[in-house]
Amino acid sequence: MTLLELEGVTASYGHAEVLHGISFQVGENDAFGILGANGAGKTTTLRAISGMVPTGGRITFDGTDITGFRPDRVAALGIAHVPEGRGTLGDLSVRDNLRVGAYLRTDRKAVAEDIELCLDLFPNLRERVGSNASALSGGEQQMLAISRAIMARPRLILLDEASLGLAPSTAQNVYRAIKRLRSEQGVAMVVVEQNAMLAFSVVDHAIVLETGSTSLAGTRDELLGLDEVRRAYLGG
Amino acid sequence: MSTLTKLSANLWVRIAFGVVVAAVLIVAPLISSKFVNYQLGLIAVFAVAILGLNIVMGYAGQVSLGQSAFLGLGAYIAAYFVTADLPIPDELRLPISLLLCAIIPAAVGLVVALAAARLRGLALAMVTIALPIIGIPLAKRFREFTGGAQGTTVSWLRAPDWTEGILENDQWRYYVVVVIALLMFLLARNLVRGRMGRAFRIVKENEAVAVAMGISPYRYKVMAFTIASMFGGVAGFMYLGIVQYTSPETLSFHTSINMVAAMVIGGSASILGTIFGAIYFVLVPSLANEVNPSLTALFSGAILLAVLFLVPGGVVSLPRRIAQVTRRLARRRGAPAPQYPSDQAPAPATTRPESTEKNEERGKVNDELP
Amino acid sequence: MAYFIQLVIEGLATGSIYGALALAIVLVNRATGLINFAQGGMAVLSTFVAYGLFQAGAPLPLAILGAVVFAFVLGAALERVLIRPFERGDPDTAVVVTIGLFVLLGGVAAFFFGYEPRQFPSFFGTTTLDLGGVFVSLRSLGTIVVLAVVVVLLQLLFRGTKLGLAMRAVADNPQSASLSGLPVSRLLMIGWGLASVLGVVAGVLVAPQLFVSPGMLDFVLVYALAAAILGGLDSPLGAVVAAWFIGVIENLAGAYIDVIGNDLKIAVPFVVMIIILIVRPQGLFGRKVVVRV
Repeated sequence: MTLLELEGVTASYGHAEVLHGISFQVGENDAFGILGANGAGKTTTLRAISGMVPTGGRITFDGTDITGFRPDRVAALGIAHVPEGRGTLGDLSVRDNLRVGAYLRTDRKAVAEDIELCLDLFPNLRERVGSNASALSGGEQQMLAISRAIMARPRLILLDEASLGLAPSTAQNVYRAIKRLRSEQGVAMVVVEQNAMLAFSVVDHAIVLETGSTSLAGTRDELLGLDEVRRAYLGG
Repeated sequence: MSTLTKLSANLWVRIAFGVVVAAVLIVAPLISSKFVNYQLGLIAVFAVAILGLNIVMGYAGQVSLGQSAFLGLGAYIAAYFVTADLPIPDELRLPISLLLCAIIPAAVGLVVALAAARLRGLALAMVTIALPIIGIPLAKRFREFTGGAQGTTVSWLRAPDWTEGILENDQWRYYVVVVIALLMFLLARNLVRGRMGRAFRIVKENEAVAVAMGISPYRYKVMAFTIASMFGGVAGFMYLGIVQYTSPETLSFHTSINMVAAMVIGGSASILGTIFGAIYFVLVPSLANEVNPSLTALFSGAILLAVLFLVPGGVVSLPRRIAQVTRRLARRRGAPAPQYPSDQAPAPATTRPESTEKNEERGKVNDELP
Repeated sequence: MAYFIQLVIEGLATGSIYGALALAIVLVNRATGLINFAQGGMAVLSTFVAYGLFQAGAPLPLAILGAVVFAFVLGAALERVLIRPFERGDPDTAVVVTIGLFVLLGGVAAFFFGYEPRQFPSFFGTTTLDLGGVFVSLRSLGTIVVLAVVVVLLQLLFRGTKLGLAMRAVADNPQSASLSGLPVSRLLMIGWGLASVLGVVAGVLVAPQLFVSPGMLDFVLVYALAAAILGGLDSPLGAVVAAWFIGVIENLAGAYIDVIGNDLKIAVPFVVMIIILIVRPQGLFGRKVVVRV
């Protein structure tokens, strides 16, 4: 069952169009990857879904046309966006960051349980649960950002450049946690990544963007089989 | 609009324009009433004061809410030196007073700036507010110098004997004041167009960039503020010349605020805009008062807000703004508009008043690129 | 000694007025990133509403309540309509916008009520208490207590409620907050509404003493700004402590240092503030601002 569908989606910054008609589908339990080099439009695609940039074309989520919806409305429909740069609320404590993630929920007891769940998933966070989020390291902030998204009990998580600025081992830890999340929770995901190796450890199928348009698409195996992919992104 | 720019670029047109303006300035007082000359003189006074404000606020980007304190200080210095019982020959009294009205306020401004320029923007504004607030009771206190709360009336700047029969007092005062104003404007123009002006602009734009270019923001802020204070002091001299009276009220912080408003409305960071601002400052309150006194403040506030929203560059940018809006309307009628997320949270990284134009397109764009 | 205590208590009372307005300024700055020079003007207009309601026959508590509601709506509406385009942009432009608003609101108040100062009754009455030789007005004590209560309530709001959490999140990073579903627009309006309510509290408390007029809070505003900046601009507690400090030294300096006297005592807080800011530019309680290029 298709959960998210993009049809001919365009997006602009000011008068410059940076996405020229992107289309793809994400099923209910899928993990979908968006790959490509810097500036290809990967982050912009996620922003278009969340309504953070002026968008053209059509974006459908669970049957509803959400094109141009405000970010908080998109979130209310069940899409959790972990932005590039993590969007950590630095002045708030780790616990408060998690509570913000659960803002739209009303089941207080379940929220408390979910906080424990996140702290189990990321033990580093448990150690720092009372500190201000700005005191956390890059990797910890990434884990916090992902936890914040989980707290919303979303149907779809948009993950933007989770490995950015992280040491390779930290990035691998983060992706290991994402994998665990996938297998335990079964949440659908759209993963934007420059590092194709990390992305492929989690996603089933993906597209590759190049200057705002799709240059390649296919399942994980199909893409891994292509020479260009191997050469360009896997140091093939 | 392009014909206008083509015209203004032509050297002969500019010379002709200058001649016309000069002729008007010279002839005006001879054919106008005392009251009109008074108003024109006041416009010159506040043009110089607002010019100083523009240099520190418009060009160098430092909020100053204390310009009235320097105006008042200049007026008091002039009042004191013109009448004081000092062993100075009469012919020299005037030029010495003018010089002191430039130097002493500049020195005060320098001291204040040295202390305050290191502070973050708004703390600096606070220090400048403190100037009128502290200045007024000080003026009331030092009665021997200032005449206390009642102020001092000084009858001076009379038309000299050699103009007997040709010029009246008010006309002479007008000429003196206008000549001083022209000199100050010339000074300002050279400052702003030269290296200092460019340095100010960079400091206003982005201090980190300034530092990277070897320009010390602190030094230039201090310089800008000192210059502004000097202009304020000179304007004070001119003020006493036209009004023949000064009191603690001259330092009022409302005057400072109204000058800032006038500067913005006329056009900040613009020499021509300063003149529009001065015209606004002098004429509008008196016009509004004639209509309905209690409407004056309402009117002024509404106009200032309207300018900030619709014509952020001030009156002086009106032609450019009209052209901009006409262009955009024409474009809208052509291309199909993309879907904008309505009513979004405000985005970061908008640095100009011009950004309100962008924000008018219903949707705020995040300027960070992937 | 009794005189000294009286001066201190009076100082704390005036300081509480400054503190209420300073809290409003800090709140607005944290939520929308700008200094609102019109905070006083908003408070004055709302105080006039209380005056108007009282003149029309409403009992004082009801008139004040009406003014509080008006203040909230005014604050929210101004944020949405006038201030929104200038938030988190160039702070100097925002300053000029709020200055324009300050002039406009003063003009509106003058238009409807004129410039004549109007009498306004004290919520706490006019009794003077004799506490062991120290004479203190009930009004002064009441003012201090009101501010203390306000500070506690604000802490409870921000630390203990979901709304408070949401407002803190929006103040920190509005875009990120909206991604978690927070209604950023509404929360900003609430922030301004709340700040406006703090302002009218200051206005109503000081009105019996200063008489209601369009320029009533001009000086209070300047002190409140000084307190907010001295406190560090993002610390509510710092603003209140700084405000109390300013109120007290103003009074003490005016009384004990002859050369200053009653007229120059208004200069004292500024001089002290300037000295403190030179030594510690981030204010007493602020954090060191590191500007990342």
